[in-house]
Amino acid sequence: MFSMASVSEEDQLDAESAKRVLRRAGRMLRPYRRQLRWSILLILLYTASQLAGPYLVKYGIDRGIKPGDRGALDLAVGLYLVVALLAFFVNRLQVVLVGRIGEGFLRDLRVRVFDHLQRLSMPFYDREKAGVIISRMTSDVDSLQELVQLGLLQFVSSALLIVISVVVLAVVSWQLMLICLIPLPLVVVASVKFQRDSNRAYLSVRDRIGSMLSTLQEGISGVRVIQAFAREDVEVGRFGRRNRTLYDAHMRSVKIQAWYLPVIEMAGLGTTALVVGVGGWMTTREIVTVGTIAFFVLSLSNLFEPVQMLSQLFNQVQSAGAALHKLFGLLDTPVEVGERPGAVDLPPSGPVRVEGVSFAYADGEPVLRDVDLAIAEGERLALVGPTGAGKSTLAKLIARLYDPTEGRITFGGLDLRDATLSSLRERITVVPQEGFLFNGTIRDNVRVAKRGATDVEVDAALEAIGVRERFSLLRDGLDTEVRERGSRLSAGEKQLVSLARAALADPALLVLDEATSSLDPGTEVLVEQALERLMHGRTVVVIAHRLSTSARADRVGVVDEGRLVEIGTHDDLVAAGGRYTALFDTWVRGLARA
Amino acid sequence: MPPPSSEGWQLIFAQLRAQRWGLAIGVAVGLVWTVGKVSAPKLVERAIDRGIEVGDGAAITRWALLIAVAGLISATFTGLRRYFAFREARWSEAELRDRLFAHLQRLHFSFHDEAQTGQLMSRANTDLQQVQNFIVLIPLTISNGVTVLAVTVILVRTNALLALLALGTLPLVNVLAKRFSSRLHPTMVAVQQESAELAGVVEETVSGVRVVKGFGAEPVQRERLRKEADDLYEVSMQSTVIRSRYWPALELLPNLGLVAVLGYGGHLVLDGRLGLGALVAFNAYVVLLIWPLRMLGMIVAQSQRAAASAQRVHEVLSTEPIVVDPARPVPLPPGGGEVRFEAVTFAYSGVLANAGGRVERTVLDGFDLIIAPGESVALVGATGSGKSTVAKLVPRFYDVDAGAVRIDGVDVRHAAVREVRKAVGLVFEETFLFSDTIAANIAFADPDAEPAAIERAARLAGAHEFICALPEGYGAEIGERGYSLSGGQRQRIAIARAILADPRVLILDDATSAVDPTKEHEIRDALAEVMIGRTTIVIAHRPATIALADRVVLVDGGAVAATGTHAELLATSERYREVLAAAAARDAERLGAGPCSDGDGGAATDPTGAGAVGGERFQAGLAD
Ligand SMILES: Nc1ncnc2c1ncn2[C@@H]1O[C@H](COP(=O)(O)OP(=O)(O)OP(=O)(O)O)[C@@H](O)[C@H]1O
Ligand SMILES: Nc1ncnc2c1ncn2[C@@H]1O[C@H](COP(=O)(O)OP(=O)(O)OP(=O)(O)O)[C@@H](O)[C@H]1O
Ligand SMILES: [Mg+2]
Ligand SMILES: [Mg+2]
Repeated sequence: MFSMASVSEEDQLDAESAKRVLRRAGRMLRPYRRQLRWSILLILLYTASQLAGPYLVKYGIDRGIKPGDRGALDLAVGLYLVVALLAFFVNRLQVVLVGRIGEGFLRDLRVRVFDHLQRLSMPFYDREKAGVIISRMTSDVDSLQELVQLGLLQFVSSALLIVISVVVLAVVSWQLMLICLIPLPLVVVASVKFQRDSNRAYLSVRDRIGSMLSTLQEGISGVRVIQAFAREDVEVGRFGRRNRTLYDAHMRSVKIQAWYLPVIEMAGLGTTALVVGVGGWMTTREIVTVGTIAFFVLSLSNLFEPVQMLSQLFNQVQSAGAALHKLFGLLDTPVEVGERPGAVDLPPSGPVRVEGVSFAYADGEPVLRDVDLAIAEGERLALVGPTGAGKSTLAKLIARLYDPTEGRITFGGLDLRDATLSSLRERITVVPQEGFLFNGTIRDNVRVAKRGATDVEVDAALEAIGVRERFSLLRDGLDTEVRERGSRLSAGEKQLVSLARAALADPALLVLDEATSSLDPGTEVLVEQALERLMHGRTVVVIAHRLSTSARADRVGVVDEGRLVEIGTHDDLVAAGGRYTALFDTWVRGLARA
Repeated sequence: MPPPSSEGWQLIFAQLRAQRWGLAIGVAVGLVWTVGKVSAPKLVERAIDRGIEVGDGAAITRWALLIAVAGLISATFTGLRRYFAFREARWSEAELRDRLFAHLQRLHFSFHDEAQTGQLMSRANTDLQQVQNFIVLIPLTISNGVTVLAVTVILVRTNALLALLALGTLPLVNVLAKRFSSRLHPTMVAVQQESAELAGVVEETVSGVRVVKGFGAEPVQRERLRKEADDLYEVSMQSTVIRSRYWPALELLPNLGLVAVLGYGGHLVLDGRLGLGALVAFNAYVVLLIWPLRMLGMIVAQSQRAAASAQRVHEVLSTEPIVVDPARPVPLPPGGGEVRFEAVTFAYSGVLANAGGRVERTVLDGFDLIIAPGESVALVGATGSGKSTVAKLVPRFYDVDAGAVRIDGVDVRHAAVREVRKAVGLVFEETFLFSDTIAANIAFADPDAEPAAIERAARLAGAHEFICALPEGYGAEIGERGYSLSGGQRQRIAIARAILADPRVLILDDATSAVDPTKEHEIRDALAEVMIGRTTIVIAHRPATIALADRVVLVDGGAVAATGTHAELLATSERYREVLAAAAARDAERLGAGPCSDGDGGAATDPTGAGAVGGERFQAGLAD
């Protein structure tokens, strides 16, 4: 959750993609059409009310005070009060309405993106770094959230306010309006420069926050290794430097603000001086009234404050746009291993056949070449072979985490590609090597394997694996929080939890990819027996580096360089004098030396 | 202030004291800003009343120029005021963050076992930001306060009743801003909390995607996320509703003041008791005060928030590291690395666990073991029997509850921590590599190591070959931004890292579990070389690795249950046979002394005997 990776990539949008992003966001906002229309009306009303105040002051001065008409003055005052109260209610409504639209949009977006992430298949997760994927749902959505909560309304109403102010000021007195335009070039040039500089500074702050946070995270999650090698000082120094560059980036951004704000403020007050000076002279010629000068003096803040506001919010808007662009890009990522239209459920059980399967990961070399394999229902098949031979790949194809490049894999006679994904996941389960634990209790972690499993079922699974008693001794028993990634459990205990998931899932075909590598052989045998008992008659594929594990299987397949080079019973293969014999000899010799 | 946050205050004040000069400059700059800001409306008043109203062109020009000067002052100093305020605030944030990180690096393992990375990160991130937000307000608030005061004095002196009407509602702005800020804050915290929870679900689901896909847990995760997204929507809307209650009211109040100014002030002008310019100035002053008053209200709420945050930071900073250097550290004598456990008793006890809780189950209970200098010992035991715990006690990651651990005769608690850690190299069972180049990861113990030394370590760990196969070789980045290596490859880099540190005691905690059987002998040969001249403890379940050791120690029930050679233990220890699943111990024993120990056996050459030999081997294999 703290991988702030990838902030440095595309954080700018060109006009073309900006347009596309806007159109698409518009489509997503369609359910909120009515609310959107109302909120536009409210924003207009609110903006108008902000100009009405100064205008009523002018009216009061010119029609009331100057000619001595107390009635007109009271009218102005009364109207002012009404406008102020109206603005109050309009403002309340618009904040709620815009909030509801914005937050609703964000919720829809979050759910949609996550749903899509869940549909996306392993090839996608191979290509993309986890940190980048996570940052889509965190820092990207957060920058949208920030905009929705703090900036969007102000951005829109500031822009409106500038436009309306210019129009109204020009209508009241075009001469004075022209005077107001004198500092305009300065404001424009400063704003453009500010815009450019501050955007760069903003991106560099974001980037450095990202790298500070990832150094921080690595320093915390790697603290054990750091202490083991007595490297605390070096890491503290490294972090200090990161932290310092972040400070520098913050200061650069503050410096940019520190010159820009004065320019705008100076322009504002300079204009006031001009209005008073030139306007004052004009009143002596009766070109403008005193009320008009008051109106201008009071309205200038309506002109210059929004300019400043816009420049400051522009960064936020820009990065929100970029974030949306990236999120839409993610939503458009095609699902490679998807469900065909007209897919049917897999039969409850059946043999597995791998027929002429070749496979290559996205970028290259074939990893599996023309593999043929038939696994009978209820058989226990072990796969062995050197690192990188393709054992895990074969297992993943059997569970349809990938689709073969060539050939096909069937379960009970049905091509996996014609099966519904839900039935597939229900029948076939893969237990990976890492006993990955989620934050939560031991029970929660087992329950992952079966939606809505009761405590009784969960406990039975733990019991079957033989760890229920062991965990019951913990402070909170089976409801013990395992802490981050299970830091309270031993390495083997984590794998046992993971295996209990398999017991709970109770699939027709179970694939154990080195799922018992951290267990002592005694426990491993117990677990195997338990699974066998539990999954009586079910098919099991085990991948193991310990040949003692393969020795217990019905048949052993030896995978080497992407081919299934040998297959047969353990005894036959040992006798055959091939690859397996050699492997086994090394293995036994290791033992013999002990 | 409520007592729980008083320590938070102390932390903030100590930091402020250190930066008092910078803050003083910020305040001084702010006061100049106030002068410029407050004089401008007054100058407009003069320009209207003494220039425009009387039609005096020269006066108009003079006042207009003065307005420009005031504008120049307030504009320049508004920038400077901001600059100094942020400089100090960002600096304290950076300093505190440095301190926090340094402290975390010194805190003991049991602290980190209980603490969550996310929690600690938010101490160093969001909490320090709260403190920063407060400190930035301090110099700003002082000049704002002076501004409010000055404006009040000016207005009261012009016309007391009108001043009362104009400013009457403004104290409410202050009160309302304060209440707004303190009402809003809990919802903001809730929003943050919910966002963090949602991010947690995303992080776990993506990092654990293999588990999610493997178990078909997508619907479960989807439901979890939907719930989090709904919760987040709820709290965000709560926060929006509070915003909608207070924000418009905060805008309304000054407007009421303006209405009063126009109403009562207008009649005053008509009665000739007030200049028209003064009326306009009143208007401008009310507008001028809006932000300073809002900020005064905010700082009260912000200060409470900052104190609460600082309190949380303080809690970490005030957690004393348990594993620290003794007052007078005894230097480790030069030695071969004798390791001695003397009646060690140990239980994990999380420091963060509620004090009233029960103590965790004792993991080690009267653990006695002497490992001679240069000896290699294999620790064998069932899952959860405490092997890793034994390993972690040697470099003093935890302190024993009773008994002692000695390296070359010195109790590890009596030596400098750094020296102990340098003397012991541990390869953890879960490999942690840093996002850096392979070379930097291997040279972790000694960043200045020669490339030749790095390569030697990699060769010994059996990693050189695959590293060279990577396009950038040793310069290849690994981790989040680089190559993802297989489990076996990662383990070998971790072994190389420990070898490069050249410790006198080397501990390998199940460090070869992911190495495939074809590499077995390579690793074994390499490790055999590494073990020469140093004490080695290996934890393993595999025969080849156990075979590396001179002696095997069976850990069971928190103590040494048996010790001897592998063959001896197979012969004598029922428990050892159980742990190794060695049903046919005697066969294996015979096998150990038999023909298989030095060759291919008869399988290939003697087909008729294959079954029998295979059977024996089968049983031997079981006994790994
Ligand atoms: N996600 C992936 N993307 C690209 N290449 C991959 C991916 N996973 C594995 N490979 C490559 O495919 C080949 C086979 O890998 P696989 O994981 O199937 O081997 P394995 O036999 O299971 O090895 P091990 O014993 O180390 O687990 C290797 O060369 C590996 O580098
Ligand atoms: N940080 C911790 N906090 C609390 N309990 C712990 C912690 N680490 C380990 N334990 C518990 O202490 C016991 C011993 O754990 P240890 O890691 O030493 O076992 P092990 O023998 O290494 O097991 P494995 O073979 O599975 O790695 C286990 O029951 C485990 O649950
Ligand atoms: Mg594999
Ligand atoms: Mg362990």
